Amino acid sequence: MAARNLIDVDDVSPAELVALLDRAATYSETSPGRDLLAGVPVLNLFFESSTRTATSFTLAEQRVGADVISFAPGASSLGKGETIADTAITLHAIGVRIIVVRHPESGFPRRLAESFDGHIVNAGDGTHAHPTQALLDLMTLRNEFGSFTGLRVAIVGDILHSRVARSNIVGMRMLGIDVTLVGPRTLLPDSFEAPGVRIERDLDAVLPEVNAVMMLRIQRERIVSGLLPSLDDYTRRFQLNRDRLRRLRHDAVILHPGPYNRGIELTDDVLEDPRSRYVVQVHNGVFVRMAVLAFLAAPAYAA
Amino acid sequence: MKLVIRGGRVIDPSTGLDALRDVAIEGGFVSEIGEHLDSRDARVVDATGAIVAPGFIDMHVHLREPGQTHKETIATGAAAAVAGGFTAVACMPNTEPALDTSALVAEVLRRADAAGLARVYPIGALTRARGGVELAPYHILADAGCVAFSDDGSTVASALVLRNAARYASDLAAIFVSHCEDADLKADAVMNEGGPSARLGLVGSPGLAEDVIVARDLLIAEDTGKPWHIAHVSTATSLDLVRWARSRGVRASCEVTPHHLLLLDDRFDGYRADAKVNPPLRAERDRAALLAGVRDGTIDVFATDHAPHGLDEKAQLLSAAPVGFSGLEIALGAYAAALPDVPLGRMIELHSVNPARLLGVPGGTLAVGSPGDVTIFAERPWTVDVRLFHSKGKNTPFDGATFPRRPIATVVGGAVVYEHGRVMLRDEPVTA
Repeated sequence: MAARNLIDVDDVSPAELVALLDRAATYSETSPGRDLLAGVPVLNLFFESSTRTATSFTLAEQRVGADVISFAPGASSLGKGETIADTAITLHAIGVRIIVVRHPESGFPRRLAESFDGHIVNAGDGTHAHPTQALLDLMTLRNEFGSFTGLRVAIVGDILHSRVARSNIVGMRMLGIDVTLVGPRTLLPDSFEAPGVRIERDLDAVLPEVNAVMMLRIQRERIVSGLLPSLDDYTRRFQLNRDRLRRLRHDAVILHPGPYNRGIELTDDVLEDPRSRYVVQVHNGVFVRMAVLAFLAAPAYAA
Repeated sequence: MKLVIRGGRVIDPSTGLDALRDVAIEGGFVSEIGEHLDSRDARVVDATGAIVAPGFIDMHVHLREPGQTHKETIATGAAAAVAGGFTAVACMPNTEPALDTSALVAEVLRRADAAGLARVYPIGALTRARGGVELAPYHILADAGCVAFSDDGSTVASALVLRNAARYASDLAAIFVSHCEDADLKADAVMNEGGPSARLGLVGSPGLAEDVIVARDLLIAEDTGKPWHIAHVSTATSLDLVRWARSRGVRASCEVTPHHLLLLDDRFDGYRADAKVNPPLRAERDRAALLAGVRDGTIDVFATDHAPHGLDEKAQLLSAAPVGFSGLEIALGAYAAALPDVPLGRMIELHSVNPARLLGVPGGTLAVGSPGDVTIFAERPWTVDVRLFHSKGKNTPFDGATFPRRPIATVVGGAVVYEHGRVMLRDEPVTA
C-alpha cells in the first residue's frame, strides 16, 4: 500500500478525521509517551518562515519521540536542475521517513509526495491547504460544542488567498458543518460557492446566525494589488469590532488562525471578549499534530 | 519519379470530389486524378481503405529554432509534422532572437529546405523583438517569405501600436494573427479561473482576459481593414465576437486547438504542468461552444499550437513550468475524437483548404496542376505513446489516449516523406 500523506484534510476519510480528533483529545489529557514514534526520522522542511506552526510541529514530534531535523531553505534553493523528484528521492535515501513541509507555492507537497517513499505532512502550501490548522480549529469547535451536528460557521475575510479557509471548508464539509463565507467579491469570488458552502457579503446579517466566526488575516498588499481600496473601507463592512460583537450570539465562539492584525480584521475588544478562542486553538495545535504523526507512522496506531 | 497513390477515397473539398480514385503526381505537381491510372515506372502508395486529402497545413506551430534547439529544431519539428500528417506548417516568430529580420527568415527557410520534409512558412514578428513597441519591417519580412505577422505568445499591449501596425501593413496580403490575453487580467495565472482554481488555490486567468483583447483586435481590424486571425480561441464569448465582427464586414478568422476541444480545467489536481497552456483549458461551457463553433462554421481552421518543451522544464512546479505541449503528432486523431460527427469534407477544409487560403500559400487542393502535397489517413484507432514522438517535445496531456483516426502516409511535392510509421529522410533510399 502506498504511504499515507496529509496534504489536505480529505486525505483521510470522515471516520479517520473523527478518530484523529479523538486521538488529539486523548493526547491533550494523557501524553502517549516518547516510544510512539521512537527513532522515526522527521524532517521539518520550511521554505517559508513560520514561528508558531514550526514550533508546534517540532514540539509535537519531540513528544512522540521522533528524531527531529529542521531545515529552513529559501524558497528558491531547490537548485536549478534538481527536480522535485530528485529532492524527494535524495531525502528518502538519507533516511527521512516523514517530511513536514511548508512552501510558498500551492501544490509543492503534492508534487513532493509523488516521488517520496514516506509520509508528507503539509504545514501550509501557497494558497492551497493547511490541514493541521483546520484540524486544530475542528478540535476547538468540538471541545466547545461537543459535536458538529447542526453547527454553522462563518469564515470572514480574504478567502481567495487563504489556505486556512480552504482546508477548513474541506474539513467542515466532511463533518457536515454548514459553512458561510463572507468577504468582498475581490477576495471571495463566486466560484467558492459549493454544496453546503454559502457566500454572503453582509457580515452584520451573518453574525447572529452562526455558532462560530473565523476571522482571517488581511494583508496590506491587497491594497497595492488593487483588490481593496483601503483598510478603512474594508473594516467598515468586514471588521469584527465592539458593535459587531453585540450581534454575535452569546454562546458563539470566535476563531482566528493568527497572527492577527489588531485594528484590521478585528479590534482589541474581540481579543478581550470571552468568546475568543485564539489561545485554545494554538494550544490544541500540538495535540492534533501528535495525532497526525501517530496516524501516519506509528506502528501501534489503530484508528 | 512519378508517384501514384492507389485506390484511396479521394476527398477534395476544393473541387467537390469524393470518390475512389488514383492520384498521380509528376514533377512535384498533381498530374492526373482518375480510376486505374497507369503506374508503370511509378512509385505506388497503396491507399486502399484510406482517405486521400489535400495536404494538411498547421498554421500555428513553434519550431524553437533559432535559440531553443533543446526543445525542437526545424528538422525535428518538420519530422513531427509529416508524422502527424501535415505537409506544411507555419512557424511562429517567438524564437530567440525573434523572427524580425530577413536574414533570420532566410535561415529558417534554408533549414526547412535542408530537412526536406514538410513545407515551412515563417510567420514574422508583429513588433521588433516582439517587444510590443516598434513596428517590424513588414515589407522586408514579406519579401523574405513571411506569410503572416504575429507576436504570438504575447499580446501587443498597446492599441496604438497595433493600429499603426495594421495601417502600415494594410497594403500587404499577409494577415495578422493575434494571441489574445490581457496581461493584467491574466497576471501570473497558471490555469483557468473558475471552480477548480478556487478549490486548488491556484491563480486562474478568466475568460475575460481573452475576450477583451479579441474585442479590441477585431475593432482595430474593422478600423484598419486588415484581415485578422484570432489564434487558439478558447471561450464562447470570443466566438460571439468573431460572429459579430463578421456581421459588420470585418475579415475575421479564427482557429481552435485539439486541446481546447477535448480537455477541461479539471486536470490540475496533481499540480503538474502537463496541461499548462495559454490560453488555459477552460470549463465545459466554453468547450461546448468551441465544438459548436466548428459545426456552425465560425471556426475556420484547425491549428495545434505545437509548443514543444524539454521534459525537465515541464516537470518543474506549476509557476515555473513553461506553457504548451507538442501537438503535431496527435492532432489528426484528436480532432477526429472531438468531432466524430463532422463530415470528412468539412474536417479537410479546416485542416487544409482554409489555412491555405488564409495564408495565401499553395495547397489546399488536389486539382491537377497544384502542388503534390497529400495527406493519407485512415479511420483506424491507435493509442498515443509520447515516447514515439518525432518531436523533441515529449509532452502531451494526451499520452495514453486512444484516437479513432491516424495518418498513414504523407506526401510533399510528390515525395513520400512519411509512411509505415517512419519519416523518410531525403538522403535515405526510398523503398516501397
